[in-house]
Parts: sequence; structure tokens; C-alpha cells
Amino acid sequence: MVEAANAWMAPTRAPTDRDWRAAAARVRAEFRPGDLIVAAPAWADPLMRHELGDLVPIAVAGRMDAADFGRVWEIAQRGARAPETAGGRVVQSSRHGALSLRLWEKPKSRVVFDFLAGWRTASLSVRRAGGETPCWLGQDRFQCGDGTGLGPELLEVDTTSRNGLGVEPQERATTALEYESVPLGHELTVAAGLHSVWLRKAGDGKVEVRVLIDGRAVGSLQASSASGWSLRRFDTTAWAGRSGRVRFEITTDKAYARHLGFNAEAREP
Amino acid sequence: MTVEPPLTCAQARRRSRWRREWALPILLAVASSLWLLAVEGREGIGRDEAQYFRAGERYWGWVENAWLELGKGHLGRALSRSAIDGAWEDNHEHPPLMKLLYGLSWRAFHTCDCMGAKRGLHPIPIIGRHRTLPLFARESTAFRFPAILLAGLGVALVYWLARQMLQPLPAAVAAVLSVAQPHYFFHAQIACFDVPITVMAVLVALAYWKSLVSPRWGILCGLFWGLALATKHNAWLFPFFLLIHYLWMRRRDFLRLRPPRLPLAFVAMAVLGPVVLFGLWPWLWHNPVERTRAWIGRHTQHEHYNFEYLGRNWNLPPTRTELKLLRASFPFVTTLFAVPVTTLALAGVGTIVLGRRRRGKAGEVVALAPQSGRASWLRPGADVDRAPGVFLAVHIAGPVAILALPSTPIFGGMKHFLPAMPFLCVVAGAGVAWLGELARGLLRPGRLQRALPAALGALLCLPAVSETIRSHPDGLGHYNMLAGGFAGGATLGMNRQFWGYSVLPLLPWISDHRPASNRVYWHDVLHDAVSMYARDGRLPIGIGDVGVGEQMPARSDLGLVTLEKHFALYEGLEWAAYHTTKPSLVYTHEGVPFVVVYERHEPPPAQPESP
Repeated sequence: MVEAANAWMAPTRAPTDRDWRAAAARVRAEFRPGDLIVAAPAWADPLMRHELGDLVPIAVAGRMDAADFGRVWEIAQRGARAPETAGGRVVQSSRHGALSLRLWEKPKSRVVFDFLAGWRTASLSVRRAGGETPCWLGQDRFQCGDGTGLGPELLEVDTTSRNGLGVEPQERATTALEYESVPLGHELTVAAGLHSVWLRKAGDGKVEVRVLIDGRAVGSLQASSASGWSLRRFDTTAWAGRSGRVRFEITTDKAYARHLGFNAEAREP
Repeated sequence: MTVEPPLTCAQARRRSRWRREWALPILLAVASSLWLLAVEGREGIGRDEAQYFRAGERYWGWVENAWLELGKGHLGRALSRSAIDGAWEDNHEHPPLMKLLYGLSWRAFHTCDCMGAKRGLHPIPIIGRHRTLPLFARESTAFRFPAILLAGLGVALVYWLARQMLQPLPAAVAAVLSVAQPHYFFHAQIACFDVPITVMAVLVALAYWKSLVSPRWGILCGLFWGLALATKHNAWLFPFFLLIHYLWMRRRDFLRLRPPRLPLAFVAMAVLGPVVLFGLWPWLWHNPVERTRAWIGRHTQHEHYNFEYLGRNWNLPPTRTELKLLRASFPFVTTLFAVPVTTLALAGVGTIVLGRRRRGKAGEVVALAPQSGRASWLRPGADVDRAPGVFLAVHIAGPVAILALPSTPIFGGMKHFLPAMPFLCVVAGAGVAWLGELARGLLRPGRLQRALPAALGALLCLPAVSETIRSHPDGLGHYNMLAGGFAGGATLGMNRQFWGYSVLPLLPWISDHRPASNRVYWHDVLHDAVSMYARDGRLPIGIGDVGVGEQMPARSDLGLVTLEKHFALYEGLEWAAYHTTKPSLVYTHEGVPFVVVYERHEPPPAQPESP
């Protein structure tokens, strides 16, 4: 009887269009530029964007992480909590039918330099045993003589959309993206992963991203078909408040079906 | 006015027996088919189903052509390799029986307006108006009709199988529970093979069971296995399940150092099975060995399509031990979360009842017909206990075990081990029988006790029927009370859908918002499905379809994305193409999104003109 009753009652407990509209109206009334809006559980994200998608541009929807957002609007149901609210405190909450709306505030990172936004200020080179292949800056990406290209893309990494710089690395070659003089904070956050569910299935090579500042290695990340969107925070205290030459060196053991996406920010946590 | 003479005892027994053994299962079968027929129009057309429509129409076109050629005395033309391959190459990775029936049903029962604007949407040339018995307004319903009838037959078969060991009421409850399962119900009304092969599994198992004491059923078992082979490749496994049971049933022969005889059912399967398959499948006729090998190879080395399970996208066999273990849990966890809880609980009780059964003991709720003398290869179960528990267990554990192997693709979700479900329901029937006995003992003899069986049966079917009604038309995304329903399943990261069937509720909106450019990106909805929606009058004739591929969203002005985990790629492509993350429309079931539609609100960047 419990199961039968549940079958008849459960549909009535689902949030309605009206609930979503009411929650969205409340968000709109108090939304500030730089706020993040999320749904919990994450599968409800399309419904949130249906109401508030104009406040979630691609740059925000494909974010590297949520560290840059100090205010997070969370539209939740069934007691779920969005991971983007971690470390925050609720400063406002309201109920809209089956939906809970909460405004979280949390400490946010200050972006000192955005490597994705500033990609045009960098230079690209591909180095092999035989020498260096020249690359040039095209309309929307770098192009190199051997066919390598690099540019901003909306990627699919680990079945999530991510903004990043996309590159197809070559075997026995180092693709290097170098930013000549970048202001740095205490932290350099780098995230990387392999693009496209089909390519991840087709290939099995590993791609490594080495990060160097002023010629000194500060760390590396490895991306494989199973690694997802790997995010690392490198300590750059030694360069905090100064500028440095930041270089990303990308290599792979097997280039077949490898399309790396990566993003980076110099931050002041 | 005439007064009927009173019935003799024998007549009354015959009538009661007819009601028990025929009227009740036929009633259940008809009711199930009517239920399915009443609601199938709400369920969209999946990728595979659209291909089976197309193949069915082609196959039947070949049959009609062969008939015409026969009339002209040129049957050889229709039987030539080129003529056969022209029709039967289509979708040759699956055997023909159901597709042939779908084609026949379409040809016989659709309402023909084939000479108008829809003429060009058919996969075969339409040379004249079809004379039909126009039972169905939609062509897709005419295609689906055989599957729906077969699903109804399946309910009756479960009853008859359960009646081999249970009283009528538990058998009837088992039959109802077999169709009242959201995932099963989803597959039962579409022109695919998963419920048909499940019905064939019950048919073969029933024939085998009866063949243990009846040679006639031994022959039929071979014939039915041939039909099963012509339905879907799952049939390859049936003899192994039966063999395990047979060897267990006759295990004492080994103790006597006398191997069991080869029973007639197995001989008939070995002889009639391939003959029936070959006779029904013209694709094999000109090159039987190589094409049979190709058919087997196709399914033994099947690609791992994408499928979400417990929050992960699975599209390759796992290599790490912990992932292998997680992957092995798939059929068990899926059953735990997808089958109605009451059915699972009854199956749990039934398992205990069957496990504790003592053969020949009076008063057992699981009772077989008495042993009937000397055994022979014609009646190999005549002198032994037929071990119903093991018989049901192998039919449940067999399909589940195959899906538990980490190397087996899981992209079909529950449909790939659906043949286990009717047998699980028979076990649940044993649980119902035990509960019935328990309840009867608690009541004093009287009207209440007489009303008990029907009341108990209805009470025990109600949860499963309610869950099934609740789930429609999105049974694939439904999970039970333990999982938390649709929303709970989504939160657990269980698969929500496949085949792109779920766009149906959006079609009126898409028709109204069709872009002026007519450039529509249908994502996972196969062109054959778009075409059938148009033939059904659910989409305008000539609605655009820019095709498939990652470059296509950029060439469209309206695009869909069916929300499966691995399809995030396509949603991103639409964001990038239309410069928005805001869907114009979202289709949900109980608040869980299934499909999103995006529109371009600003003109696309100018393309360089071709020289």
C-alpha cells in the first residue's frame, strides 16, 4: 500500500513550472553581476537555465571551477546541495513550492590573470628533435606548420561543458604555449582534461601538461581518457605580486584521438 | 422461457477448468494488449524501432513482390540473390520474424493515404493505394500491433507457466506482475525485439517443462526455439539454461554412473531450430554459413555504446578491478531499483518458499503434477522431481549473469536481461501463494475468507500497476521507491533514456516553432523516426533535418538534445552555435528533464560564398 500510495503521490511532489518561475523571479530581483546560479541536484540544471539562462552565459556555464564566485544562488530540491556552495554560508533562503532557494556567500579568489581570456598575448611553438615548427596567430586560433592548432573552445570534458584552450598534441613533440610577462598571485590554478566522449573512447594515450614559471617547473597534470577534469593549484608565493614568464608544455605518448582542453588562472585566494 | 437443466458434476468441473485454464489467461492477455494499445500513442519512436519499421516495410515489400512474381510464373526472380539482398540486407544484424510481422501488420491494418504527400516517405516504391483493414489511424500503431499482441500472449504464457506449479490466483498475480513493470511495459508496446524475445523465452521454457512428461511438447519446444532464434540472438542462450536444469533434475543418473538420456526437446531444438530460422530468413538462403557466422560475430563482438550507470558513462569494458566489480553489479542494482518493490519482496518470499519446498509433501503451495511412471527420452521427467526452483533460478540467473560479466556491453539497460523478469514474477507468484495460505489461516471460514484470494491478488498487483501507470511514457527513466522514483534515479546517476524516443511530447511545439530556414537538428532522433512522425501526421511533411554530426548544430536554427550523460557534447555544440545556454523548451517527467530544445535568436555568422 505504501508503494502504491507513493506512486500516486510522488508526481505531485515534483517542482512545477510555477515553482521554477517563482524562484527565478526572486533571483532576478537580487542578482548582481558576478553571481553564480546553480541547480541542485545538477541534473536540474537545464530547468534552471530555461528560466535564468540569460544570466548564465557560456563563460559562466563552462567555468573552470566556482572559486571565482563569492555569491552563489542555489535552486535546490529534495534536500540536495550543490558542490559549488562548499565553504559558503547561507545568507538568504526562501521556499518556492518544492524548490528551495538559497543565497550562499563564500570567500572568492581574485583573478590576477586569466590565461584563457589572454590567450592572444601568448606565443605558441612546437619543438621536435629536428627543430622548432613555426606557429602564427590566426583569426581565432594559433596555427602551426605541422597542422597543430590551439585556440579557445567550448569543450566537453568528462561529460561537462568547459571553456578552455583546445589543442591536439603531437607525438615526439612538445607544444609550448608561453605567456611572456604575466602578473601572478599566490596561486596558479590549472585544469585540464580530454575533449569529446568519442575521442576518449577511441584513444588511450596520455597527455601531460607541464607548467613552468621563469623556466622553473612548478608542477604538472596528466590527462587520460579516465582522468576527467583535473584541477591543480600550484603555490606561486615566490612570484606573488610580480610578473613572470609562464609556459605550458604539452606532450603525449600517443596522439591518436587526443584533444586536450586546459584552462588556467593566476589567483589570489 | 426456457430453463436450462442443471449441470452435471462433470460438466461443472469442465466449465470451471475452462475458466481456470483458458478464460482467465485469455482475459489477462486481452486486457494487457488493450492496455498497451491504449497508451502506445504516448510513447515516441526510438532509433532502433524506426529502423525496424523501415526494414519491416521492405521485407513485406519483398514478400508482396515474390507473390506477384509467383503469379507471373517468375518466382525465381524474387528468389535471386540481388532481389533478396535488395530487401533483406536492411538491418540484417537482427533476424527477421518480428520485422516481418511488423511489416505484415502495417500492410494489413494501416489507414492508407499513401498516394498523397507521404508517398515519398516510404522506403519502398508506392505504386498504388493500399487496400487495407484500416484498424489504426497511425501507421506506427499498425507496425507495433504484433509486438503488443505478443506482449499480451506473454502474460498468458506466464500464467500457464506459473500454473505448472501454482494455484490459479498466484499464477494470475504472477502474470499481471510480469507486465506491470515500468521498464518491461516501455518495451512491450514498441516494434522492437526485447519483449518478443522475452515472450519466446517463456514459450520455449514452458514447452520444455511440459516436454519432460509429454513428447508432443518436445517437438513443439524445437519449433518454438526456431521462432525464438528468428526473433533475437538471446535465443542462443536458452538451450544452455535448459541443459543446466536438465542435468540437475537428472543428477541421480550420474550417481548411478548412467548418463542422462538426450531428451526429445533437445533433439527437436537441434533439428527444428536451425530449419525454422533458415526458412524464415531469406538473407541466409544464398550464403548460409558465412552469413550465420557474420550474424554471430556481430553480437559476440558488439561495440560498447555509451550508457550511464551510477553516475559514470560506460562505453568500454572496464580494466581496473574496482570498476570491474562496480560494472558487475549492474544487473543486480538495476533490478533492485527498477522492478516494483512489492514484486521484489514477493519474489524474495517466493525464493524462500521454493528453497524450502519438500517434494511430494502434502499442503505445499508449490505443487507439481504427480510423477507418472517410467522415464524415457520422450518423457525424461516422468520419474524424478522436476525441480521447479532450479528451473526458475537458471532462467533468472542466466540472463543476469551474462550482463554481470564486465566484458558484456550494458547499453540496453534492463532490456538485455528482460527475459529473466517473467520467471522472477513466477517466483513472486510462489510468494503470493504462501501469503494467501497465511492469510487464509488468519480468517474464519466464511464470506471474508472466500473473498480473500481476489482481494489479496488485487492488493498485491496494485503497487506494480500504479508504478507502471506513473512511469508511462518514460518507463526507461523510472526507478522504484527504493531509488526515489524518477528524481532518485537521476540523482543516483542511473540511465534515464536511450534511442531518442522522448521527443514526442515536443513535436507540436517544434511544428509551431519550425524555423523559416527549416533547418532543424534532431540530434538522437533518427531520420527514419522523423519520417514516421510525419507519416503519422505528428510533424509537417517536409520538416527539415540537417542530419547528424558535430558540425550540424552550427548549420541549424533549432536543435534538440536528448539528455543522456554522454550527449553533453551536443548541448555544448548548440550553446556555441546559438550563443545561448537558455533552452526554449524542456520536456520533463516528474520534474526530471529528458529533452531540451534550443533556438537561434540571432543570425548565424555569414558564410563565405562559394566561388
